[in-house]
Amino acid sequence: MTALAGTGPLVRLCLRRDRLKLLIYVLVVGAIPIGMAAAYKVLYPTAAGLQAFADLSMSTPATVGMLGLIYAPTVGALTAWRAGLNGMFFIAPVSILLIVRYTRAEEAVGRRELLGGSVVGRQAPLTAALIVVCAVDLLLGVFIAAGLISLGLSAAGAVVMGLSAAAAGWVFAALAAVTAQLTVSPGPARGMALVMFALSWLVRAVGDLGRAQGLAWLSWLSPLGWVRLTRAFADEQWWVFVLFVALGAALAAMAYALSARRDLAAGILPVPVGPAEAAPALNSPRALAWRLHRGGLLGWSVAAAGFGLLLGIVGVSMAGFVDAPQMQAWAQRMGAHDAGDAFLFLTMFVLGQVISVYAILAALRLRSEEVEGRAEAVLATAVSRLRWALSHVTIAALGPAVLLIVLGLTIGLGYGLTAHNLVQDSPRLLHRTLLTLPAIWVVAGIAVALYGWLPRRAAALTWAAFAVFLALELGWELQQVSQSLFNISPFAHVHWSIQVTATPLLGLTALAAVLAAIGLLGLQRRDVG
Amino acid sequence: MTAAISASGLVKSFGRTRALDGLDLSVDTGAIHGFLGPNGAGKTTTLRILLGLLRADAGDVQLLGGDPWRDAVALHRRLAYVPGDVTLWPELSGGEVIDLLGRLRGGFDARRRASLLERFDLDPTKKCGTYSKGNRQKVALIAALASDVELLLLDEPTSGLDPLMEAQFREIVMEERAGNRTVLLSSHILAEVEAVCDRVTIVRAGRTVESGTLAELRHLTQTSVTAELAGPPSGLAELPGVHDLQVDGTRVRCQVDAGELNAVLGQLTAAGVRNLVTQPPTLEELFMRHYRTDAQAGDDPSRGHPEVAR
Repeated sequence: MTALAGTGPLVRLCLRRDRLKLLIYVLVVGAIPIGMAAAYKVLYPTAAGLQAFADLSMSTPATVGMLGLIYAPTVGALTAWRAGLNGMFFIAPVSILLIVRYTRAEEAVGRRELLGGSVVGRQAPLTAALIVVCAVDLLLGVFIAAGLISLGLSAAGAVVMGLSAAAAGWVFAALAAVTAQLTVSPGPARGMALVMFALSWLVRAVGDLGRAQGLAWLSWLSPLGWVRLTRAFADEQWWVFVLFVALGAALAAMAYALSARRDLAAGILPVPVGPAEAAPALNSPRALAWRLHRGGLLGWSVAAAGFGLLLGIVGVSMAGFVDAPQMQAWAQRMGAHDAGDAFLFLTMFVLGQVISVYAILAALRLRSEEVEGRAEAVLATAVSRLRWALSHVTIAALGPAVLLIVLGLTIGLGYGLTAHNLVQDSPRLLHRTLLTLPAIWVVAGIAVALYGWLPRRAAALTWAAFAVFLALELGWELQQVSQSLFNISPFAHVHWSIQVTATPLLGLTALAAVLAAIGLLGLQRRDVG
Repeated sequence: MTAAISASGLVKSFGRTRALDGLDLSVDTGAIHGFLGPNGAGKTTTLRILLGLLRADAGDVQLLGGDPWRDAVALHRRLAYVPGDVTLWPELSGGEVIDLLGRLRGGFDARRRASLLERFDLDPTKKCGTYSKGNRQKVALIAALASDVELLLLDEPTSGLDPLMEAQFREIVMEERAGNRTVLLSSHILAEVEAVCDRVTIVRAGRTVESGTLAELRHLTQTSVTAELAGPPSGLAELPGVHDLQVDGTRVRCQVDAGELNAVLGQLTAAGVRNLVTQPPTLEELFMRHYRTDAQAGDDPSRGHPEVAR
């Protein structure tokens, strides 16, 4: 039992560090299926409406690939379908990131060593991490089940749905517990577990899409397939939970075995090595910034390309449903020439806002470099503050442009190839995608301006400003916020529902440049570090 | 001789904390200058002002004939800095960081880089994210020492190094003396400063308390002697350089100035030594002994500042 000594205090330490974040996670991720169930009850009051929606969804390959199969045309079964795998996009990554945060990340920074000196058993940190994450996932499952029962859905279905979410979270937590034993630094441990998550998503997508070709068995190989195969609200298959528990227990046992035989702070896999000498090109702050950002930019580009292709293909199928009267009305309201276009404009705009997140992160890298003392190492050499800061600001400006181009090109490719009109569609869709760029630059400019003058609060205030812009937009769409108030947000001037002209684009670009210049001026004048 | 660094009356506050409170520092060109003080004395803040990362609230500072805040970039071509807490980019290898920092400084000596790698026994292919604190320290030291600069600013450079590497570091700094480089070595380890430095400035609570050559500060380097004798000792009190003598039967405790130890040992062996312990004073003891009144005033902010109301 000495291997587990100190588990209790460690559990309390994890909760003390993250209690607010964990609570928000449970409430937000739990609220999504409950909200969807409530929405479906209102949107589709008749059995015929539910049936039509289910038929429409099942005939679109993209939705089947993304969300799996619908097992029954009822509010409960549709909620389980729409929210089940959708929720896994939060639950699996959060479970993985939390486990790595509590185990490998602690070891990598040496805090685990600090605890190892006190009365903490060898297996206590791993055990505490698993207890906390599994308990939080279970709490989320209970919250989902309780919410669905309160809406009058069947208790058995609600419990199966909630439990599926929790059980899949356990499996990915146990998986992360294994990868956390393998590598010395936390990044690859997270990466390996997330790649496994992506693979199991892919395997079940192929299984669901290829069921007519006899590939349905593939879905049984993926824990994400099991999330749907428990068949909540459609003749529940309780025994599928045996699979979850067996795989989770096997992975956890493997994690414990690996943890028992390795040294503290050591990994199982060999430590990756780099070149003994720097490449000749690594000779300027700009080269350093590119080196630091290129991995992240590559990851974002791959994600943008994947989304782009998928969206392009889905856009065509949306255009195919243009006959439906609701769709036509919707497209007309948006001023797009058909429903497919309208759907793409909306999605591109939203993805443009997601790419703002990249721009903010790239700009705020200035602050993290400063806080962690790495800016000092560069600024103590013959590099001016301006040159150093510009190296990161350049990435924050050009990175989003690259991502939008990738997104626009892949959407055009997917759409053009499916609609057999590549030459005409690609430039049109690329052009529309790039319209959000000036608004993204303004958001990045705000980050730089705040970094220059209020470095300590820069991150919090930038995210707050971004959240306000999104909230104004939501309020405006619900007609609770006036146009003039919404105009505060840079996104108002490139909104997908309006005809964007050159003037606001130039205005936003100029504003972004002024904001960045103000920030760089502030940096010249203040203390660094 | 001209001064590589001259600072006088430096004041720097962070919010309500006064990190520097009128600090003076003067470093001669070509000297190895020790900058000694306990943790939190203001050593790092001073170095960061010298680098132009921080701007002093008051006081004058000159570095290599320029203003460190205004002429930062030009001055940084002529100096290299090793921070006390070295953080590096986890995705770069140690060798890459050494080359990058050297190039950003305006070039380095590849042969010297190779020899330093060997002497410090550092594997340059490892990613910085996997280095221990000591190895990160080595990366920064090699990058600094391999550059062809006039001035080295080293902030507690041996924290995290094992004793073998510490010895290696001292040896290399001694060689720098021949190369006519100026070195400002901040440290809280008295023995390290004693071993390599020509001159020493001692700071406490943001103020300079002593400055001079090691010979001038010799009174600070007393050895503490504790002995168990066969019989009662005689003649110790009359010897020069013996302080705080306590004799309890056959047990003797005293502080002995450097250079006077031989005579004291002669008296002790005459009485017959059963057990003998000699210890150089720790910096903490030094401060306890020499700056106690100063320390009390410094530790209690309300004293001497009647305007601070509770």
